[in-house]
Amino acid sequence: MTEPADAKAVRAAETAVAAEAPDGAGASIRAEHLVQRFGSGRGAVLAVDDVSFELDREPARIVSLVGQSGSGKSTIARQVLGLQRPTSGAVTYGGKDVLRLNRKQRSEFRRNVQPVFQDPYAIFNPFYRVDRVFWTAVRKLTDLPNKRAADEAIRDSLRAVKLQPESVLGRYPHQLSGGQRQRIMLARIHLLRPQFVIADEPTSMLDAQTRRGFLDILQDFRVRYGITTLFITHDLSSVHYLGGDIMVINKGRIVEQGAVAEVMAAPSHDYTRLLLASVPAPDPDQRWTERIDIGQIR
Amino acid sequence: MSDALTTTAAASVSDGVATGTTDPAGAGRDLDVILDIADLSVAYATGSGDLVAVKDVNLQVRRGEILGIAGESGSGKTTMAATLLRLLKKPGRVSGGTAQFFPGSAPEGVDLLAITGNRLRRLRWSSLSYLPQGSMNSLNPVARIERQFADVILEHAPKRKAELPTLIPRLLQQVGLDPSVARSYPHELSGGMRQRVLMAIAISLEPDLIVADEPTTALDVTVQRVILQTLADLSRDSGVTIILISHDMGVHAQLADRVAVMLDGAVVEVGEVRQVFHQPQHEYTRRLIESIPKLAGAAVGVNAGHPVATGEDDR
Repeated sequence: MTEPADAKAVRAAETAVAAEAPDGAGASIRAEHLVQRFGSGRGAVLAVDDVSFELDREPARIVSLVGQSGSGKSTIARQVLGLQRPTSGAVTYGGKDVLRLNRKQRSEFRRNVQPVFQDPYAIFNPFYRVDRVFWTAVRKLTDLPNKRAADEAIRDSLRAVKLQPESVLGRYPHQLSGGQRQRIMLARIHLLRPQFVIADEPTSMLDAQTRRGFLDILQDFRVRYGITTLFITHDLSSVHYLGGDIMVINKGRIVEQGAVAEVMAAPSHDYTRLLLASVPAPDPDQRWTERIDIGQIR
Repeated sequence: MSDALTTTAAASVSDGVATGTTDPAGAGRDLDVILDIADLSVAYATGSGDLVAVKDVNLQVRRGEILGIAGESGSGKTTMAATLLRLLKKPGRVSGGTAQFFPGSAPEGVDLLAITGNRLRRLRWSSLSYLPQGSMNSLNPVARIERQFADVILEHAPKRKAELPTLIPRLLQQVGLDPSVARSYPHELSGGMRQRVLMAIAISLEPDLIVADEPTTALDVTVQRVILQTLADLSRDSGVTIILISHDMGVHAQLADRVAVMLDGAVVEVGEVRQVFHQPQHEYTRRLIESIPKLAGAAVGVNAGHPVATGEDDR
């Protein structure tokens, strides 16, 4: 069996040696005219079509990238993480192309830009206790002086995401619920304190209540530690709950962007309107009255 | 806990939408009821004793309604659906209760949990049908769509063989698909189209009851809206009864006539949809509703300037 791609990404983040100095403070991530074409000839698919945006650190923001399956949003996540070479355009971190970093810059990038993926199960090795996720991170990415300090830091991080250390440490991934596994990934973020989190559909497998808890933690990380998150999702309710900024993507192109409150109150693009109108309002007095034409979508 | 539940919880509906009348146990069968679940318990055998997944559920499903079953993962809703469909797998087993089903073909009623063999086979699809999860690959990847219709129809209603050439296109049109889809293979269709094919198969033998288990989970939000719209149309046009299982309270608010809320295997509340949303009786229901991030003021119509629905101030 080949290793799942998401596990590779997290491993890649960990193979980098801990950077000596947390320089790059204030560094921002820029996506510049990203294009991604898959295949060639008549079967070619333009997954990402001239996408540009910037993720700043100061002030820390939550920027949501919203679109449907096949819209290109996961490809953008992989480009930003340096896991996918764009057909043209570039992602820069601190002004440098993330695919052309030297050894020191790369380790800094991998420490400061952390991924969270949809299925937390895929990144755990099922044969090891979940503790390993932390110890690998401690060894490779932090400079905690000794085992005792590291153990205390791990427990702190678990408590910060509202997990009881005793109820998860020593367990195997399959013994934990999806919500617990996803919180462990957040605890890992808490431990590493990166500058950026790139979260690709992190809540799509969680229940409404668990989902809300997850979003609260992302918000807490922004406020408390100044972590900027690129939150990739198809769930507009979560975006509304988080606030911050939104970019709406359709067929590989960003069709609308701005502050969440403004875009949701007065969407200017038809596609954004269609998305908003499709969210089932949790109120029987707000049932849909008009019909969506089936021809509009597939 | 569950004995406190009256299955017809229409008692106090504030906005005047009175539904059904109470049918005290023993006072003769209510013709309005198509499925009467009584004291249903389901347990999974584990190394360290039984894990009870469904606990003493009492629930009556009314003819023609859409009954929503809400609850988070692990609440027992999918186990209950599998039990009713007789798809429960070991180590799960029914540890008590009955589920009397009253389809047109057997008005005297059959216990879904007791019938076996040919009787069960005749009931499936033609009286009791199933719409699986949107994320599941429920279609045979190497057969054209028309084959998959034929498999179901010929297995359960062989007499209708001659009708197939007209029946399949009609069913596809009924769920908003082009009849040419019959010649396609599943991989040639989008997720939303595949789910509509499954819906057409589910209604192909005009069942009395469809159990839909998370039918829109994992589908994009716009596709979900179209699927839900189609499901509502089917219910309205054909009068088929639907048990709609979903963890998404928004789906219930849009579609269900009544909603039952499950927690830890038990039904903790059942009532008319407006009552459940506006005056939840159980603390858990209240939390479930509150936990939905609301797009307040964001309900904007597809056509600019036409709100999908009115605001909150009219209640």
